[in-house]
Amino acid sequence: MPRVNGTGQRIYAWFERRLQLEGPVKEAALHPVPRNTASWWYVFGSAAFTLLFLQIITGILLALIYVPSAAHAWDSLNVLNHQVPLGWYIRALHGWGSNFMVAIVLIHMAQVFLFGAYKFPRELTWILGVFLLLMTLGMAFTGQVLRFDQDAYWGLGIGASIMGRVPFIGGGLVHLLLGGPIIAGATLSRFFTLHVFVIPGLLLLFALTHVWMVLKLGVNEWPMPGRVVRRATYVEEYNKLAHEDGIPFVPGAFWKDLVFSGAVIAAVAVCALIMGPFGPGGQPDPSIIQTVPKPDFFFLWIYAVLSYLPPALETPFILIAPIIGIAILLALPFYAAEGEKSWHRRPVAVLVVSFVAVAWGSFTQLGTVTPWSPHMSAWSADAIPAKFLRGASPLVRQGANVFQDKQCRNCHAVGGLGGQRGPALDDIATRMTPDELRFKVVTGGGNMPAFGKNLSPAEIEALVAFLDTLHPPNQRPAVNPVNEVYTSTHASGGEDIPAAQGAPR
Amino acid sequence: MRKMAAVLLASTAAVLCGCHAYQRGEVSQPVPRPSAVLDFATLYGQNCAACHGPDGANGPATDLANPEYLALVDDAGLRKWIGSGMPGTQMPAFAKSSGGMLTDAQVNAIIAGMRKRWSRPGALEGAQPPPYAQTQTGDAKRGTQTYQARCAICHKQTRDEITNPVYLALVSDQVLRTMIIAGSPDIGQPDWRHDSVDGKPATPLTDQDINDIIAYLDGLRNASPGFAGTAAEPQSGAPAR
Repeated sequence: MPRVNGTGQRIYAWFERRLQLEGPVKEAALHPVPRNTASWWYVFGSAAFTLLFLQIITGILLALIYVPSAAHAWDSLNVLNHQVPLGWYIRALHGWGSNFMVAIVLIHMAQVFLFGAYKFPRELTWILGVFLLLMTLGMAFTGQVLRFDQDAYWGLGIGASIMGRVPFIGGGLVHLLLGGPIIAGATLSRFFTLHVFVIPGLLLLFALTHVWMVLKLGVNEWPMPGRVVRRATYVEEYNKLAHEDGIPFVPGAFWKDLVFSGAVIAAVAVCALIMGPFGPGGQPDPSIIQTVPKPDFFFLWIYAVLSYLPPALETPFILIAPIIGIAILLALPFYAAEGEKSWHRRPVAVLVVSFVAVAWGSFTQLGTVTPWSPHMSAWSADAIPAKFLRGASPLVRQGANVFQDKQCRNCHAVGGLGGQRGPALDDIATRMTPDELRFKVVTGGGNMPAFGKNLSPAEIEALVAFLDTLHPPNQRPAVNPVNEVYTSTHASGGEDIPAAQGAPR
Repeated sequence: MRKMAAVLLASTAAVLCGCHAYQRGEVSQPVPRPSAVLDFATLYGQNCAACHGPDGANGPATDLANPEYLALVDDAGLRKWIGSGMPGTQMPAFAKSSGGMLTDAQVNAIIAGMRKRWSRPGALEGAQPPPYAQTQTGDAKRGTQTYQARCAICHKQTRDEITNPVYLALVSDQVLRTMIIAGSPDIGQPDWRHDSVDGKPATPLTDQDINDIIAYLDGLRNASPGFAGTAAEPQSGAPAR
């Protein structure tokens, strides 16, 4: 304690005599940790803790203005964005802080797993960490609901329908979650309570206990191949390491935590500044059907997984997979309490983390581009690139009109625009002959509906004429080698391609 | 400590820049209800651009950026085509009253935007074009001669063939008439006064000439155009969207 002056010292002494915090604080701050623990790899936990406080502070500021009612929430967010000075920035900080917190908690967890830090005697620290992850995700979901826009509304609908699939008590759970049978005023009050009181309270309690255990049990030593954890000897070995080749936690290791936490806060500040707040998107009104609701970034993978699951597997997956996943995480420190910590000797652990990361990344990417979903406005919004129409015959131009009007574009991209549910058609003429195109359009097949009953013969002919022009200028369209000789009538763009025998398939 | 100070400084700077950004008003405006959107660029981009081209031209459908077309057709006509669709063509109905998604105000906003953006005073240079709507029936025989004399000069080539019954099955007489009178600059179709888009003046086609040409083209239509024996009967009216 620096000597400020006599009065200050007296006040300090007055409090210290009653609180008696100096001893425990000094003990916690100055306790020795192994020298190699003071690593840049050990900064993620403290950064997550710092972000929690950023979220609490910005959250309190937002709660001063936000109105948790279905009728006014959306308006109050727009008031924050546009009328309250710096309201948009506080929203942006809170939103980006949330993204960073989820990311850092996940990185922290992967690092702890790879460094074997969950092993004896830190099993409970890991278990609390698992609950902290779940609560962080819970905060992210409830936060997304409080940003009461179209994404929130439909996300809530999906959350409720997942709940509704629980056998026997599903209906009751939905009622509990929504505060009634439908999404209404009570729903937002419930989520406000969860997001502002229940989960943060638990989160803070668990996080403090988590930190307490880190201080009491010591920061995990740097894993070395061959240094095996055994219940009987570990504590003794750790204390020996910490005392013989140790440094005080403050400032030896702590300065790196401070620098990294500061950098993370700065990164949140910069992201918030440049990219601004998240939403709110369109009004949460189910009568507005021109919407493509999507979950926030960290739930996109679930969105993709659920979209790809066959309907019969949905309910088992939704209800069983999370339980198995959480059970595995909770059982891990008991199953592998002893043994090697180093990733050099734990190939399965490295493989698991790599697999989860690649799977998560792939599903998130798929959730971003949603190739399974038709683009419902492509038929009227995505223009046919002019190069495909240059010099096109009147019939081909009508075929292009049919292509748009019959909404082929909603599933088939041309020129990079349009749906991705079916293949892009930029060079379809090199792959299919006019006969094959006609057959495909009429009969469908392979995930494509049959359009024979929705198109007149003239429309089909015009459409096929248009599709048959979709090929690169230097590549001939496919022809049937049995009975066709390619003639220039098929060529697009005005250039005549020499007649060719056989199909360049 | 220096690093920490630098980070703190950067954060403070970021927050202060934030104040500045707020004053610049960089936060996007509240998202309006789809039915409340009256901005022409948005409405046109979402509903028209796919067929009529991003700038009103170079799409497969009618060249809307053609000032002569806009001088020829009045607001009521445009409102009818946009709102209820154009029978005998691929133009669907967009008004809510016809099962589309646009309000009357939005249809009007599109028409006003088209006029503001693409109309040009004096587009017809004082000339009196034949009426937009057909008032009399033409004579197909005379139309054959007129077609040969005035149209076949360009449309003799196979790729520009407009006598194809399949093509004719997909366009209405009104589309043909509009095309003949107003032309279509984006594809080089001249108006009723010219022989080519290069601006070579010619004897303007009369209302009678146009009626005759359309009667001739109509005579080329047949009951079952297209590939025989594949598809089912054409649906009556526009299919449900």
